Amino acid sequence: MIATLRNTIEWLLEWFLILLMVMLTIIVIVAVLFRIAGDSLSWYDEVAAINLSWITYYGAALAALKRGHIGFDTVLLALPLRARMLALIIAEIAVIGFFVIMAYTGWKVLQVLGGDYLVSLTWVPVRFTQSVIPIGAVLFIICELLSLPDYWRMTARGKSIEHAEIEEEVESELKKAGAR
Amino acid sequence: MLILGCFLVLLALICINVPIAIALAISAIVGLLATEGPGSLVTVALDMYDGSTKFSLIAIPMFVLAGALMNAGGVTDRLINFVSALIGFVRGGLAMVNIGVSLFFAEISGSAVADVAALGSVLIPQMKKRGYSAPFAAAVTSSSASLAIIIPPSIPMIVYATSANTSVEQLFVAGVVPGLLGAAGLMLVAYWFAVRYNLPVEEAFNVARLRSTFIDALPAFTLPFIILGGIFGGWVTATEAAGLAVIAALLVGLYYREFDVRHLKRAMLDGGMQTAVVMLLVAASVLMGGFLTRAQVPQQIAQSILDLTTNQYLILLILNIFFLVIGFFLHSVAAIILVIPIVLPLIQAANIDPVHFGLVVTLNLAIGQQTPPVASVLITSCAVARANIWDVSKINIYFVAVLLVVLMLCTYVPAIPMFLVEYFYR
Repeated sequence: MIATLRNTIEWLLEWFLILLMVMLTIIVIVAVLFRIAGDSLSWYDEVAAINLSWITYYGAALAALKRGHIGFDTVLLALPLRARMLALIIAEIAVIGFFVIMAYTGWKVLQVLGGDYLVSLTWVPVRFTQSVIPIGAVLFIICELLSLPDYWRMTARGKSIEHAEIEEEVESELKKAGAR
Repeated sequence: MLILGCFLVLLALICINVPIAIALAISAIVGLLATEGPGSLVTVALDMYDGSTKFSLIAIPMFVLAGALMNAGGVTDRLINFVSALIGFVRGGLAMVNIGVSLFFAEISGSAVADVAALGSVLIPQMKKRGYSAPFAAAVTSSSASLAIIIPPSIPMIVYATSANTSVEQLFVAGVVPGLLGAAGLMLVAYWFAVRYNLPVEEAFNVARLRSTFIDALPAFTLPFIILGGIFGGWVTATEAAGLAVIAALLVGLYYREFDVRHLKRAMLDGGMQTAVVMLLVAASVLMGGFLTRAQVPQQIAQSILDLTTNQYLILLILNIFFLVIGFFLHSVAAIILVIPIVLPLIQAANIDPVHFGLVVTLNLAIGQQTPPVASVLITSCAVARANIWDVSKINIYFVAVLLVVLMLCTYVPAIPMFLVEYFYR
């Protein structure tokens, strides 16, 4: 059950992130070409910045699912088993607590924003663009919980996720190099 | 007192492996609650949104994407062939090739870890086959890839320029001479090792082969040309150069006919996730920055150091030592985001050029990538070479020493990084 849910969310987030990256790339390239042609696009700065913000939070949730955020695990992994797992629980509560605050305040902000629209594209409500904060926060919590069992097992065995990822990347590159 | 409390919370959270971005945001919340009450929490949502919409940082996903596309598009082998034909005739040729190719690669990609995995997995096995020791091969790969972060385009530089509110284009230009100087230094050390251990020569110098490998690699050279040429000439901004680099990388990949859909998908995903990880840090730093500024902390720290000394060189020395220590424990981008907002008022008060300081910081953090426990580039190199990290470090000390000398030169002879900036921009 959990594995299916995890895979579905991973699949959805991956394709949404790819879509956002393709959009940003197209926007930047089109904007450069227009500027070089001497006809700058009025909406470029605002829309590209919003796109970046969506990449930030949908990508951050995906990175949480893969436990890819930058951290420092040397001290944690050096702790004795019991203290280590206690610290892990505290850390997870802290992370989830933060995103609960972000989701709640983000939702409050959406309500205040009511009828505001973007400056350059006057038909796009700011409520829509800033929805990324509460939605991104909730997604982050879901992804953090879904990836917790694996992280728990790795930490209990004293293994570093970052090192495991490097190993994986190296394996795939070595295979690629060997195939040539 | 309150600030000390926030700092301790931050430190404790980092030690139990809370992601640094989130640890930063939580300690800012602790500070906000203590000084401004629960009503101020709405700034969490506002600042986290503002921080993630910083326009100048759009260059990050574009450069990461361009690099990933070049990697997937068959550029690696052609660059290695060309650089082999160019400098493979020197004793210890493969080590020279490794350093040379790292320089080219740095022109394309912003991520040192991805470069090490891609380049190292081709070069390190070759080096081992030709009689180089695994630790030596890993040390050369690791130090030259780290040097690459001071050569444009560089993600830490983009993040620094945004944090310090200075010109990323000027910072890119400032990195060129120190980068070349560092590469020359690394090559000298590699040569010294090659003579001492009688490492092999690769191939005799051959003009025809140089020409054919050059022509084969020519499309790949359009990228540094676009990035450096466009920015030096003042025709495009860093973000625009990044956009053009993506087009060029796509065209080059199509020309070499080595793309497949799986590679493209992977490149997009890697680019998106790396961007998200950096941007979450930036957003959290906006939240923390707002709190610190209202509490006047950076100004107080600046004043207390300025009370001790107003000597620029002494202040730079203090900051250098500080960054070297921090480099042991933090990734480069995280270190920049944590420290720059705090030391910026000091830099301004001491009249230190923010572009010069940016170069010094980036070079410093390049060294930090070589020093365990947190040393992603070194660890990746060791994994590729299947070598023990301490054996590698014993040899790597010589290469790190070169980088330290370059750091000292760039710190105390500002003209070395800055004369190109003066020439092009001032």
